[in-house]
Formats: sequence, C-alpha cells, structure tokens
Amino acid sequence: MAAATPQVSLRATGSLRRRRIVNKIMEGVGTAAALLAVAVLVVVTVSVAVRAAPALSWDFLTQPPNLFGGPGGGISSAIIGSALIVGMATALALPVGVLIAIYLTEFAPRAVAAPIQLALDVLNGLPTIVVGIFVYGILVIGHLQSAYAGAVALSIVMLPLVSRAAQETLLLVPSALREASLALGVSRWRTVVGVILPTTFGGIMTGAVLAVARAAGETAPLLFTCSIFSPDVSTDVTKALPNIPVLIFTYSEQPDPALHEQAWGAALVLMVFVLVASLGAKALLARSRRKLGR
Amino acid sequence: MRTTFQDELNLLETTLQEEGALVLRALRGALNALEQRDHELADEVIAFDDDVDDRYIRIEEGIQSLLARQTPVASDLRLVLAILHINLHLERMADYCVTVAKLSKLVPDVEPSPRFVEGFEEMGSRCEEMIRIALDSFSDRDLERAESLVELDELIDRANRRVVERILELGSSEAMREYGLRMVIVSRALERIGDHAVDIGEQVAYLLTAEFREFTDASHKTAHEL
Amino acid sequence: MMNDNVTIPVDVAPVEIAQERGAPETAQREVVFDVRDLGVHYGSTTAISGVNLEIYRNLITAMIGPSGCGKSTFIRCLNRMNDLVPSARVTGNLMYRGQDIYGEGVDPVAVRRQIGMVFQRPNPFPKSIYDNVAWGPRVLGLKKRLDERVEKALRGAALWEEVKDRLKRSALSLSGGQQQRLCIARAIAIEPDVLLLDEPASALDPIATAAIEELMHDLKRDYTIVIVTHNMQQAARVADMTAFFSLEVDESHRSGVLVEYDNTDRLFTNPSDKRTEDYVTGRFG
Repeated sequence: MAAATPQVSLRATGSLRRRRIVNKIMEGVGTAAALLAVAVLVVVTVSVAVRAAPALSWDFLTQPPNLFGGPGGGISSAIIGSALIVGMATALALPVGVLIAIYLTEFAPRAVAAPIQLALDVLNGLPTIVVGIFVYGILVIGHLQSAYAGAVALSIVMLPLVSRAAQETLLLVPSALREASLALGVSRWRTVVGVILPTTFGGIMTGAVLAVARAAGETAPLLFTCSIFSPDVSTDVTKALPNIPVLIFTYSEQPDPALHEQAWGAALVLMVFVLVASLGAKALLARSRRKLGR
Repeated sequence: MRTTFQDELNLLETTLQEEGALVLRALRGALNALEQRDHELADEVIAFDDDVDDRYIRIEEGIQSLLARQTPVASDLRLVLAILHINLHLERMADYCVTVAKLSKLVPDVEPSPRFVEGFEEMGSRCEEMIRIALDSFSDRDLERAESLVELDELIDRANRRVVERILELGSSEAMREYGLRMVIVSRALERIGDHAVDIGEQVAYLLTAEFREFTDASHKTAHEL
Repeated sequence: MMNDNVTIPVDVAPVEIAQERGAPETAQREVVFDVRDLGVHYGSTTAISGVNLEIYRNLITAMIGPSGCGKSTFIRCLNRMNDLVPSARVTGNLMYRGQDIYGEGVDPVAVRRQIGMVFQRPNPFPKSIYDNVAWGPRVLGLKKRLDERVEKALRGAALWEEVKDRLKRSALSLSGGQQQRLCIARAIAIEPDVLLLDEPASALDPIATAAIEELMHDLKRDYTIVIVTHNMQQAARVADMTAFFSLEVDESHRSGVLVEYDNTDRLFTNPSDKRTEDYVTGRFG
C-alpha cells in the first residue's frame, strides 16, 4: 500500500528556481559595481604614483622650491603652509560646527531647527568657488591675500561637514542616557557636556578628520585667497602662504617637465594624506563604538 | 479570562457540596441506626466515612495546588479559605456521625422513655436542618441565612441540656446507667455537629463581608443565660 | 440543676475578633505628595484626568493597572519629567511638601534634585562604575568625601560587595540586575527625598527582581518610594499602599483614571470597587 502523505519537494523548482537565478545575478552585479569602484581608486592611485615616482625623494618633502624655478627643490613650504591653513580652518570650523550640532539636537525647538538645518544643507552644497569669491570680497579686496583668509574660506567649506557628522553622532546617543542624567537633577547643559559629549567624542572626531581630509584638497577657495605667494618656508599667516592644491595647479601650468613631476608628487602626497586620514577616522569610530557598549 | 482557574474553583465548590450531602446521609443513617438498633446500618455508616474522607483529601490537595499555582486574591482568596475551613468542619461532622453509629452498637438493649426518644429526634432533625441551611447559605451566598444558624444552634444547645436532665431521670439500673452514659456522648456529638454548622455559617459571612467574626462568643453569657 | 456548658469549650476561640475598618494607619503619616484633580494632556489626547491621592512618607506606594492607563504618565508628573515631552500639558494641583511643583518660578532641575527616578531599562552612563555614582554628586557640588558617598550609595543599593574590587571597570560590564542596582545607587548618591521607580524590575530575571524588591524594603527607611509596576504580585509583595489606575472610555474620549487607592492588604483581600476586583482577580485586562 503506497504512503498517503504526498512528498514535499525540497529542491528548488519553478518560480523558486527563477528567484534563485535572479538573486545570483543581482549578487554578481553588485559585486561587479563594488569592484569597479575599487578599481577606479586603484587606477587613479597607481597612475598618480607612477607619474610622481621620478620626483619623489627625501629632499622633495623637506626642501622648499628653488628660488628661480629651477630643477631640484621640494614642496616643504607648501606642506607647512597647507598644514597651517587647514589647521586654522579646523580651529574655526570644529567648535562652531559642534556647537551648532548640539544646539540643533538638544535645545532647538522644531520651528527653529528646521530653517537652520536647511541653511546648513545649502551651505554644504555651495560650490567652493563661490565660497572663494565671497571670502575674497570680504577679506582680500583692499588688503592682500593671506593664509587666514584661506583658512576662513576653508572653514566655511568644513562647517556643514563637521556639523552634520556631529549631529548624526549626537542623535545616536540613546535618549535613556539623557533622561538618566536629567532625572538626577542635572541641568541640560551639564548633561550635554558631562554625559553626551564624552560618548560622542569618537564620532565627532571622525567627522572632523574627514572634513580635514576634504579641506586639505580644496583648490577653488584658495585660488582667490591664498594663491600669490613666495615659495620660501614661512609661518606668517597674515601673508599668503604656499599650499599644496594651488601649487599643483600652478606647477601643472609651467612648461618645465620637472615641475610637472613635482606636481604629480604633490598630488600623491595629498592622496596619501587623505588615505591615512580616512583610515584614522575609521579606527576612531570603531573605538568610540566600543565605548558606547555596542 | 482565567477559565481554567474558574473551573478549578467551581470543581472545589461542587466537591464540597457533595461532601456536605454525604454528611447529611451519614447523619440520617446514624440517627436511624440508633433509633432502630440497626447494627448493620451502623456498620454501613462507619464504612461510608471513607467516601467523605476521600472528598476531604481531594479538596485539601486541590486547594494546595490552587494556592501554589494561581495566587488567588480578593474574593477568590476568601472563597478558597472558606472552602478550606468548611471542608474541615464537614469532615469533623462526619466523624461525629461515625461516633454516633459506633455508640448505637454499644448501647445496651433497654427501652427508654418516649419523651427521651422525642428529645433525641428533635436534636437530630435540628442538626439536619442546620447542615442544610449552612450548605445552602454557602451555595447561595446568603448572609442572612448563615446568620440564622446561631439561633438554631441555641435550640440545639437547649435540647442538649434537656436530654441531659432526662438522662438523670432514666433510672439507676446498671443497664440504664450505661445507656445514660452512652447517650450523653451521643448528645454531645449532635451538639458539636450543630456548632460546626454555625462555624460554616461564619465562613460564609467571612466570604461575603471579608471580616473574621464569630457569631457568638461562648465565654460571654448571652441575655437569656443570665 | 446542671448548668449550661456541659461541654468543654476547647475548640472555640474565646475572644470575638472584630476587624477594625476605621482610619487607616496612614492617618499618622506625613504627606509627601498631595495630588488634587491632576490631569495630563498630550495635545488633544487626555492621558489621565481627575487624579486625587496622597502619598505618605517612608512608605512604598505602588501604581498598578492595565497598559496605557496612565500610571507612568502620573509618576512622571511627580518629578516633572513630562516637561521633556513638548506637547504635554498638566492641569490640576500637585503639591510636594506644601509647594506646588508646577508653580511659578519652580525650577524643574531643583525638583528632580529632590525627587529621583530609576527607569525601566537600566541606563548606566558609559563611564566606570565609580564615575556613574560619583558624577551626579560632583556636578551638583557635593564633592566632599566622594569616596565615602559612593560607597554608601553602593551599599544602599546592595551592590557594594559585588563591585568594590572593580570600581574602575566600565558600568556596561555588569549584568542587567547589577546595572539596575547601579542606577539605584546613582539615584541615591545625591540623597534625594523621594525615589520614583518606573517598572524597575520588568527588564530583569526573577532572581534580580527579587533582589530589587528586597532592596526596596530597606530603602523605604530613608526614602519615600513610588513604584509603577505591571506585575500585580510585585505590588502585593512590596507596596504598603496601592493605587489602581484604569482606562475610562466613553463616546467622546478615553483617559486614565484612578479607580481605587488603599492599603495594599485591603486592596488585595477586599477591594471596594468592582473594577479593582475584576482586575486583581484577573477577570479582565
């Protein structure tokens, strides 16, 4: 006598099989897209590295450009100048950006927060060349170009980035922590400083590092505010200081192929900096996640 | 909600009422055995006690289980406690019925006066009435009926005293004296059954009013005793 | 003539036991919270309305009732945590030791200094165990003899023995029950007057729950405790007074109301309101 229970097939047939195929195709497409992105990055990095190779040397990093534009020399003055400019820009953008983020997430009523948020988003999308012209109009016309004008321009570019990163981190803090602190009879502000900020420190720093990496490579704002400079090493921020993005730009316009190589070299330095900064930001984020107990 | 719990409670109450019905039968049997000098009937009554004990144990176990598992509160808790106590009173009543049945076998073969026999019959039927009222007041949750048991118990107490007086009148032959002694004990057994019926009434009152209250106070003299 | 009582009365209690249903023992107690006609509205919805009760010093008062009946809303009025909800509006009168909590010029921060709260899910700060307890006092200016204060608070929360050797470790390394006791320690470190506990054991396993309940018995010596719980048996075990909240629904609206407030013993043996009876016996909701 045959068994009465019908056999349920455990093999994929019909529509189940079709879905499996579609699934596999989509997986393949996704993987290919990801690989493409990585490939692009690799191609760019390799081609820059290859073209920069001839110019790279210890001197390249430690010597300023030759006075009369001859062969030899390096880009040390531009590295120092960029460091100073970006450093000042960070000093301006970081506190302001964090404060804005704190205000938006902890204190602002909805009606006030929405327009401020909008303004930040617009600022984020503002073409950097417009920022450059704006700062030029305010700080450079009637005076000379200067490093601090460049810093101001860069800080405007960094501000929405820092603020957005800080906001997202602040929003990640569970409201239970806020409630716990408030229930102790601690004021709102002290709650922010003592409980919320320490937990968001890692996330905010991550945002800051990424903003720095971005600002280090912005050319347009510096073209208007800090592009006419002497090539010597200097730390006088009231004058225009040499900086890497503008240097790449000007060297690439020179007829001398040695200078072209130096431009590639500078570009590689910039890329390496961005890479290191990005990895550093990831490490910071991981550490701060562990602290929050996740 | 809580239908299993409610079913358990209902089962306990039903079993209790069954036990009550058995007690009534035992009492009637014992009284008849006594009156008719029916030794066989007396043996049946004695054996019958097992049925009562069986229900007694079932109810005890059921309550233990219910308390452990269901955490009854408020009126449920009072009901469970009332059942627990009434169970005990019924079991004691049944034991007294067995006492009467045993005594009916030991009693010498004498012919007591009709007044005497009347007295006993009166006590017996009062007891039956009280048991019925107690059980009905419990199933109907009737406070007034429960409280009425006190007066009926008064009547039994008086009947008990009259019986004792008449025992003294019985005569001084040895058989009569033995008869008298046994009858004192029977009379006391019936009087105690009446007391237990009042106790059941008190449990009903507790269930309905949430007050622990004795209907009378045996140590304080009432108006007509003074 | 033979007197009555031929029988030997051994099995009848000689004294008549009368239950006194007069004034409850609370008449002697100090009133900490005096609530008159309290109502809370979130926009156009009414969460609770018409609540009247008094909370007494050094007693544990429990709020029970089905979900959504407003017991958490009520307890959050007591320390103005409802202020954190933008649309919340409080009507009626809430006096704390004679002062109107919602009166003019009253600072909610000062209120919460006196009336602490522990929440349903343990929420220790991501700091060390020591810092969790010490941070509040530090910030609020109670900096003297901080170590002593921390130890006293941890002892008060029955946690000292378990953590005294690892005070510097992160609070997040503790178990759920320990974290909740840490939150209690954190709350009592600033020596409040009242402790509000919003379902403090509902996220904990039975053993941790028992530890918290045991703790409450000790804590009520020094603090007035108000607890919200959805576990009736817990209220029956720990509370001196119990308030039963329920939902009142009619054609136009629904709101939480206080149905009955009494001695826990009385509420669980002979409640006055049928709704209470139905709830505690599990016949509804």
